Amino acid sequence: MSLLEMTLDAPRLLEMQPLLRVNNLCKNYGGIRALENVSLHVYPGEVLGIVGESGSGKSTVLRLLNLEEPETSGTYQLEIPELLGQNLFELNRFQKRETRVHHIGIVYQNPHLGLRMHKSSSGNVAERLILAGEKRFAELRRAARESLQASEFPIARMDEPPIHLSGGMQQRVQLAKAIAMKPKLLLLDEPTTGLDVSVQALVLDTLKRLQFELEMTMILVSHDLGVIRTLADRVMVMRGGRVVESGLTDQVLEDPQHAYTQQLVHAKL
Amino acid sequence: MKLSELAFERQDYAYAFLDEFAKRELRRKILKAIAIPGYQVPYASREVPMARGWGTGGLQVSLALVGVNDTVKVIDQGDDDSVNAANLRRFIARMTGVKTTTDTLAASLIQSRHRIPEELLNERQVLVLQVPMPEILSSIEPSYARAREMHSDGDYALLWLGLYEDLVKYREVSYGADYPVLVNGRYVMAPSPIPRFDTPKLHQAAHLTLLSAGREKRLYAVPPYTDVYPLEFEDVPFQIEDQRGWRDASTGAAGKFMSEIPQDGGGSSYQLSDTGLKQKLERQMAGEEIEIGATYFDDDTNFYITGFLKGAS
Amino acid sequence: MAYVAARGGEEAIQNSEGLYRILNGDLTRQNIRAIERHMPYLVDRVMGEGSLYAPELAALALAQTGGDLYEAVLLLRAYRSTQPRLFYALPISSETTMVVRRISAAFKDIPGGQILGPTLDYSHRVLRLEALETDSIQAPKLETKNAAPSSYPKLTDWQREVGLLAGELEPAVQTSREVAALPDITREPPIYPAPRAQRLQALARADTGGILTLGYSNMRGYGGIHPTVNEVRLAYAEVQLEHPITGAVFSAGRVRVSSAEVVTPFSSGKTPPELSLGFAACLGWNETKLIAAAMLDVAMSLQDPHPAHQEEFVLSHTEPVEASGFCIHYKLPHYVTFSSDLDRVRKAQAGGSLELELEAVGV
Repeated sequence: MSLLEMTLDAPRLLEMQPLLRVNNLCKNYGGIRALENVSLHVYPGEVLGIVGESGSGKSTVLRLLNLEEPETSGTYQLEIPELLGQNLFELNRFQKRETRVHHIGIVYQNPHLGLRMHKSSSGNVAERLILAGEKRFAELRRAARESLQASEFPIARMDEPPIHLSGGMQQRVQLAKAIAMKPKLLLLDEPTTGLDVSVQALVLDTLKRLQFELEMTMILVSHDLGVIRTLADRVMVMRGGRVVESGLTDQVLEDPQHAYTQQLVHAKL
Repeated sequence: MKLSELAFERQDYAYAFLDEFAKRELRRKILKAIAIPGYQVPYASREVPMARGWGTGGLQVSLALVGVNDTVKVIDQGDDDSVNAANLRRFIARMTGVKTTTDTLAASLIQSRHRIPEELLNERQVLVLQVPMPEILSSIEPSYARAREMHSDGDYALLWLGLYEDLVKYREVSYGADYPVLVNGRYVMAPSPIPRFDTPKLHQAAHLTLLSAGREKRLYAVPPYTDVYPLEFEDVPFQIEDQRGWRDASTGAAGKFMSEIPQDGGGSSYQLSDTGLKQKLERQMAGEEIEIGATYFDDDTNFYITGFLKGAS
Repeated sequence: MAYVAARGGEEAIQNSEGLYRILNGDLTRQNIRAIERHMPYLVDRVMGEGSLYAPELAALALAQTGGDLYEAVLLLRAYRSTQPRLFYALPISSETTMVVRRISAAFKDIPGGQILGPTLDYSHRVLRLEALETDSIQAPKLETKNAAPSSYPKLTDWQREVGLLAGELEPAVQTSREVAALPDITREPPIYPAPRAQRLQALARADTGGILTLGYSNMRGYGGIHPTVNEVRLAYAEVQLEHPITGAVFSAGRVRVSSAEVVTPFSSGKTPPELSLGFAACLGWNETKLIAAAMLDVAMSLQDPHPAHQEEFVLSHTEPVEASGFCIHYKLPHYVTFSSDLDRVRKAQAGGSLELELEAVGV
């Protein structure tokens, strides 16, 4: 950690514990090293952006944080009462599912990964509550409506299946599903990539408002520095499975230190 | 003295058809099924002289259990005289020599397809249900290997989501027969395609129910006095078939499951699906002294366990 | 056996079976013998799928069912269920069988030579109408020239030697005790993924038509494999038993067996690549089924979501007795389940019982 970073982060570090701690995360696919000693700490209510080109490992980080895939090595902790001191990678299949349902929300770039395209949109959201054990139909309706409304989804269409909806609306359904259980951690994998610029701006507005209202910690993966600049407090730059630079967003994007970050920023400009 | 005088007369087939190794396997698997209510126990499932899908699973269980003192009743759609029921009954009798009956009260072993009799079964009776598709998850997860994982995780969210979707789309749950039930608080089970009317009869029942799918090679059990709850939202109660106002054309009986018979020129008439009961009622009407047992549902379709069915039909 | 009063249903059953028998004519020993002698490939197929090698019983099953294959297979299977298992025979290896036909498409010639043997492969498929006009057409007489070798080497041995086929061979099962310890699909339920022994047993008993359909879908391109037939063998094998007391080995008879092997390049998923081997064998001679089955054997080992590459899909849907039985079971009355469905349809048609408001959003 650079000297500059420490001084800037110091007040917060003194006050709070990080919500999320990942240390020395490594991931191999066959003989290929996809992640090499990635460590990150994210604080409550903070938005961490991860940037990098395709193949840099940024989406792999999210999949591992969502407990979808086994790690090769490393530890992962969330500062949540019932999970204190627990390395989440060591949970069994059942506990991992419980943790995902209650504490982690995710929005994928490809809505097919996150949604049941032929079930109703409200049902997609309600499924999170079903998984958490909710057995009252009226409560499922209420909660689905509330989440969809919070995501600024047009409620009149809440029972239409996502397959009939536009890309922007599909992302709003994913978002509603992700926040249905009011998780502490929200993972966003290129949530606005592929949307029209105007729609993209609206979805980003919604995200920003929700993050503020629900005090969620967010990790946002994007190759779009504009998106990162809009949402992220801090940014982490990845290349070839390694973290090459990290720091406050303004600082990294205004004054990149690493040659690769400089390239990224200038390419953008 | 000749050897042939000492030995039993040669018969082409063993008692109850199956060889003893097959029966032993079945009995062991049945015990396991009873020990883990609602859990599907895989078994080898031998071929028997009926086509697969025609009750071979139920038949194997019946053949493994039937003793010389048993009295066997076989029904299909509630009907003792249905050709397939008659065929199975004929086979069991031919291979064992046991008595057969159409009277639920007189039967010690009842094999059935799609129905549970109307008269209360007791602790000394065994009900064997024929099962076409034992895997309740097969409509949402066709791979048995994956479905087994979901059962082990108790992961039934997609079934609940199915109920939610039905309610949103139709304002009704669309499951007809074979309504999913939670057994002993652990496994969700296909009760075989019995109508929803028969589903509550499994809850805290005095008798042992064995369910067996020959083609899919799975058997499972609801032991006596076990909780069996249909999947239902707390605020959208499970409903049995609405047959209010349906009366048996010949006996006037009501509150029992009826077969609807379309009539020329529109309209329908109704017949008791339980033909054993129907016969007894008819004989009683003819003045015969005959014992009719207590029934699960009274004439106004009230279930014998008060409060179990929350929803009106 | 006790007397059971015939009721309406039982009488109907007896009459319908009677009608069937009248249409099919008398069951005579002569007819059964004729089927056994003159329709060996049909008898083979019934025995293979019935998994019971008994030509006389298979011929009886065919005669008794008027040639309905699925019914005949079911008869053999059901008969098999009544028979206790008293002994395990010694394993049959392809080196010790008496091979009458053995061909390879992989090389022009192979160690041991190509043996064309009995086949219609290169005959003209013309109906021999003259047979309708004469009493009989004699089978040709062929002169024997040189004695056949007692065994043929396996092509896979050569391929292993030169490094084309990798992978260690599992030690061959040798004693009847080892045979008895193998997983057995007739004694244990299949659990997927299936042990290899169960997969090969399921293929051996599988429906010829079903295997051909799925195998053909692979051949036509619904699959990533490009197989070459390594070897197809038709043979006679001695069934050898160990005397339970003396341990002496004796022959219980001779059975017809067949096997097929295919090899495919680049489907092992390994770098550098090596050939993958697919294998299938069955009782009786049934080349078409085995070539398709051997291809499916390779396909089922691929990590590919296509149904014809999924072991559970292939094996559970090509089981002849189960598939045919379930298909015809739809003829059984279903009026209880149907009325239960109707109840739901009527309720939903009437608008449903749930009050689902699209609550207060002004829709």
